[in-house]
Amino acid sequence: MRPSRGFLVASLFAASLSAGCAARLPEHVQAVSLPSPEVLGVTAEDSAPKADLRMIPPEAYMRTYLQLFGGLAPLDAQKLARGKEGAQLFDNWDAYVSALGFADYRTDIPRLTQTNALMVATFERLGVALCDRAVEHDLRAKPPMRERAIFAFDVLPAPGVMDEGAFGARFDVLHRTFLGYPRRLAPAARTTRFFQLYRDIVGMHRTADPKSRFTPEEAGWAAVCYGLVRHPEFHLY
Amino acid sequence: MISRSRSPVVLFAAVALASLTGLRPAASAPAPAAAAGTRTLDDYRHFRIASIDLVGRIPTRDELAAFERPDFDWDRWVESHLEGSAYVERLTRIYMDALRLEPNLNFTAVPSQLYRQEITGPDGKPVHVLYRGGQRRLRESTDGDFCLTPDETGLVVRPMAAAVGTPKKTSKKALDTYTVEVKPWWLYRDYKAEHPTERYKQGWANPDPQFRPVDALLDEPNGKPTMEVRVCREEAHEAPEGHIYASGRAKPPPTSSPLPGGRAKAAPVDTAYAIKHKGEAIACDTREGLSMAVDCGCGRGLERCTPNSGTGDTPAFQYPNHMPLGPDLPLDSAGQSALRWYPYWWSREAVHFLGYLFAEDRDFREVLTGKETWVNGPLAQFYKTVQRGACCGPEANFGMHGETEPLFDPARVPTDLLPHDVDRWERVADRGAHAAGILTMPMYLEKYASARARAAAIYNDFLCKSFSAGQAELTPSEDPDLTRRPGCQTCHATLEPLAAYFARVEPASYVYLPESLFPQKAATCKKDKAGKMNGACNALYDVAFFDDKGPTLRSAHASPAHASAGPVGAAADLTRMPEFASCAVQRVTSSFLGRPTTADDARLLQSLTKDFVRSGFRMRSLVRGVVLSDEYRRANDDRVDAPPVGTEAR
Amino acid sequence: MTTRRTFLKVLGTGAAAAMVGLPPLRSIADIGQANDGEFFLFIHAAGGWDVTLWADPRNEARGILHPASTENTDPSQVRLWRDAPLEGGAKTFELIRPPGSSLVLGPGAGGLVDIVDRITIVNGLAMNTVAHPDGATFSATGRHLQGGRVASPSVDTMISNELGKEQLFPTVSVRFPSAYVGDNLDRRVVPLTIGDVGSISRTLSRTQLYDANPERDRVTALLSLEAEDLARRSTYHDVADGMRLQYASLQRMLASNLGDVFSAEGLKTAHPELTYKTRFLGAAALDAAFAIEAMKRNVVRCVSFAAGNFDTHAGNYKTHAHAQQELFDLVTATLRSLDAIPHPTKAGAKLSEHTHILVVSEFCRTPQINLGNGRDHYPNNSALVISPRFKPNFVFGATDADQLLPRPVKRFIDGERAIAPPDLLATFVSAFGIDPRKYMRDGEIVPELLRAAAAA
Repeated sequence: MRPSRGFLVASLFAASLSAGCAARLPEHVQAVSLPSPEVLGVTAEDSAPKADLRMIPPEAYMRTYLQLFGGLAPLDAQKLARGKEGAQLFDNWDAYVSALGFADYRTDIPRLTQTNALMVATFERLGVALCDRAVEHDLRAKPPMRERAIFAFDVLPAPGVMDEGAFGARFDVLHRTFLGYPRRLAPAARTTRFFQLYRDIVGMHRTADPKSRFTPEEAGWAAVCYGLVRHPEFHLY
Repeated sequence: MISRSRSPVVLFAAVALASLTGLRPAASAPAPAAAAGTRTLDDYRHFRIASIDLVGRIPTRDELAAFERPDFDWDRWVESHLEGSAYVERLTRIYMDALRLEPNLNFTAVPSQLYRQEITGPDGKPVHVLYRGGQRRLRESTDGDFCLTPDETGLVVRPMAAAVGTPKKTSKKALDTYTVEVKPWWLYRDYKAEHPTERYKQGWANPDPQFRPVDALLDEPNGKPTMEVRVCREEAHEAPEGHIYASGRAKPPPTSSPLPGGRAKAAPVDTAYAIKHKGEAIACDTREGLSMAVDCGCGRGLERCTPNSGTGDTPAFQYPNHMPLGPDLPLDSAGQSALRWYPYWWSREAVHFLGYLFAEDRDFREVLTGKETWVNGPLAQFYKTVQRGACCGPEANFGMHGETEPLFDPARVPTDLLPHDVDRWERVADRGAHAAGILTMPMYLEKYASARARAAAIYNDFLCKSFSAGQAELTPSEDPDLTRRPGCQTCHATLEPLAAYFARVEPASYVYLPESLFPQKAATCKKDKAGKMNGACNALYDVAFFDDKGPTLRSAHASPAHASAGPVGAAADLTRMPEFASCAVQRVTSSFLGRPTTADDARLLQSLTKDFVRSGFRMRSLVRGVVLSDEYRRANDDRVDAPPVGTEAR
Repeated sequence: MTTRRTFLKVLGTGAAAAMVGLPPLRSIADIGQANDGEFFLFIHAAGGWDVTLWADPRNEARGILHPASTENTDPSQVRLWRDAPLEGGAKTFELIRPPGSSLVLGPGAGGLVDIVDRITIVNGLAMNTVAHPDGATFSATGRHLQGGRVASPSVDTMISNELGKEQLFPTVSVRFPSAYVGDNLDRRVVPLTIGDVGSISRTLSRTQLYDANPERDRVTALLSLEAEDLARRSTYHDVADGMRLQYASLQRMLASNLGDVFSAEGLKTAHPELTYKTRFLGAAALDAAFAIEAMKRNVVRCVSFAAGNFDTHAGNYKTHAHAQQELFDLVTATLRSLDAIPHPTKAGAKLSEHTHILVVSEFCRTPQINLGNGRDHYPNNSALVISPRFKPNFVFGATDADQLLPRPVKRFIDGERAIAPPDLLATFVSAFGIDPRKYMRDGEIVPELLRAAAAA
């Protein structure tokens, strides 16, 4: 790495200053007025303070989560998420409250404002529950579109014929749902990446043993959903 | 409207600095604004941030669709979201993060706390009997104790501890003589009626869903629904007043004598006061009503008392442990200790109060100065009677036998709220002369239990200052005055005068000591030969600050004027300080920007503070100013390709 | 060529070394190697403890001191309490002088009396605070709160940043005042903050009903790329980079299949030697069991937890000594457990030989008994270190006889003064070759606390 010129100048200056100070008595310097510097031009500078992205507060995360679960209350969402599988998909909110970073005012524990690996694990646990139930509700049961909080589209009738265009139109619905803007404004690689994910998961499910409860296409969409509900842009702002 | 953050820089200096330090020159001029109706990524980003802040979640697809329409009016959207539950929650969260007004404590006002003891009935089956600890009774064998003797039950019964002994069948005669069956308020909605019939979940078909007694209160030991509770006869007295009782026992019996009924400790002896005032009327909801009257009880339907399913820290009601989204959206529900019932509602009162301030866009100074509050059924029950049980002990020596100037005047409690009206909140416009926002709410006073803690909390949360001692050197000193003691004075020179505002509110309590009975200097409190004062004087006055007029009221020494002014004075003085407004602005701005404010934000904060004060300390105006600012739009947008400030179309 | 970074490092370490008379600290690679396989346990005795009952025992009424006595303490459960006379008819306690030791302890010390040859006590820590949040932060980070905000990383974060980045759970923090603050920290070491250790297993549990681990890993891999892209597009990219690292950590965590191991039942079964049904510290015993198990499996670097509630202002002071006894019995039992477990990576070594325990509280309690028969907050403190790198059977620091205030104990750079938490923390981290100045603004290394080898 090249040495910073500024730093060397400053350190040499400091060294000479200290050396000089050690050798001589302090001197009095007469004030002298200087001419104003000549203005050669003016340029604008954005002096607004910048800061890194921040984590959405756990309250906002939870409200969003419940909204995506169909606007349910927490205990209703918990019941739905658990379904008939007990704690396989979802334990209970008490198990996640601390890891999600909520403050505990009773014991004066402040809220967390940074993600950590266990929080990311909790996001995955909750996200998987949400997406799996959403696949069952939206794609399998096929209620009217206005009742679908997440998958407000139909999968193609014939498996395996999804091209990137067809995928992209559906991905746009999910992109808006989770990330809050159309995919056309996302980085160019994103749709391709997620389409590849979809195809890979569909392929993995076709050969999986034992079979999962999802069809390969459902599993593909569930994976796309996981990818968005766990996305950094979902959790940060 | 806030001006844009953009400042011209003299190129000469910029070039000189750049050459010296190797820095790049400042960015070029911003790109032209996008055409109306076409949203940029920055627009979506901005809308998402504002949704998170003002709606409490990310926008739905429908909301995005509305945003994308050419007729979307940003200013109108912001305005419409400066109200509603999400907005209120957003602001409440800022102050709850600072104040943390949730309890981690048990509370019992002795005259109002019932305990439940299981004994063996005449048929050999378990029977529950409710009683109060310390209740006076006519029988010497039970005076101050459980109403049935150890000889009758086989048990030495003690509140807050397991009974000792081997239970034996209690005779029907004893049960009928010394206990009675009652239809209590927690089981009957119409408990005040002559013959209550509206039993919880039977005749009382739709109880408030948040009012849930635990199963142990609803069912007998045999599993059948409890229709009546058995309570010691004294506790069943209904009159609001009783009479001072003197038993005739002047002194305890010799330690060698067996105690009547097999009781474990001797019955209470008469105090000089009881002998002197025998037969006089006494209020039943005070501490003295419990300790001095045999005809004071829990009132009609036991409404002056709180139930318990056991002998101490045992469950009574179900409510949530976690409800970060509010009590309407709990994350769980569990049977909670009887001793936490009122602390739970104190916390809800404080949150409701804050919510009211923000929802109605009140003058924010009312957070400290406000006389009003909101109460529901349990809080009405608490303020009407239960709170009075905290008094009086040593205060009686100064002539206060019941609170004379409570922080919340019981006469102002709404009369139509029943203890189980948990979700019905009514406004109390004026709690009384000494009320001062949250400063005189039980939750604040119990959370910050000492005068210094209360003062430090205000200093930190409403003036944005902290007592940070750094490297103060502490040397041994005999000086009791911490405002002078070397090392301590760094903080205490400020802290003690602030603490003096709370000198008249007892520590770990909400009992107010009026100046008429508790002067700054207590001439009646004398020192003994050892230089100490008696217990009552010592409890309320500080011998360390004793002069020819007597000892000083505790915590008052650093500022008698502040002690006289009390919390009301604190509220008035603090809200007049310029730091009050600037602190509120800084807290809210920092929260919405998602980062601490720095010197670079000085201009923004100054402008916001001016607007905040001019608007009458209205939060809505402040939040509007923040959300519509460019700083808010740019906050956390550190994309390398982010357009410079002030160039985006809306 | 001398880079700016090495220039600064040489300047910094040289200056620091010159000031305290120590040889320069080693390079980062050397630090890692020398301290590979060290584990750390940090315990916060919540609420502020009464040091006159254990570390700095007082059984005489002298000055403003009221010793614990049968008037304010229930000694029935305190096995080391032996009555000693006290004026006024009540009884105080006999001081405990363990054989073969110059340490003097109080009856709250519990099991510590059996391991005096392994403990270091620091007395007379100058706290300059009596507020809970500030005291807790000061003890854990070495700096007071600044306007209510934490200004410095906590000791567990510092240690993990240097020595724990590669661990599956670098720092697990159960209600400890852990803090992740500063620019030079790796996002992998953000403390994993949980309310109870059981939640780890629940959070890591994954069903196979709908999808399988490889599929979820595939999603995680995609998200790592997305996080990388986001970082690339950002001026400040720490947070996005951090998420990328955390995704990688998550994959490792899930692959480790430790969910069942770290359930409450699993831990109690694995460590029956600890006492879980106690009056005060049952939850802390589970945290200790987690620490032992996680160290045994080499998946953590630091485990930090809070224990008890020692904030006894009123009649609850009666049981303070009992609660202390439970705390120190737990510490002793944990150490004994570590004695019996082989080190996961160092052949022939015991885990206890490479585990370092620091027990702190936010401040101590007043030497006077208050009107409620309890004790309030006081700006003095003690701490306990159990570490092979610290001088054992040793006490450093002192308080005055009449007022229990910290006394000056040595000449620091800023003059004669008492030891303070930043000095203790600086000394602690330096024992592992970490330059405290990298993380801490204040605090000097106190070589007197260290064994000669650690000081070198």
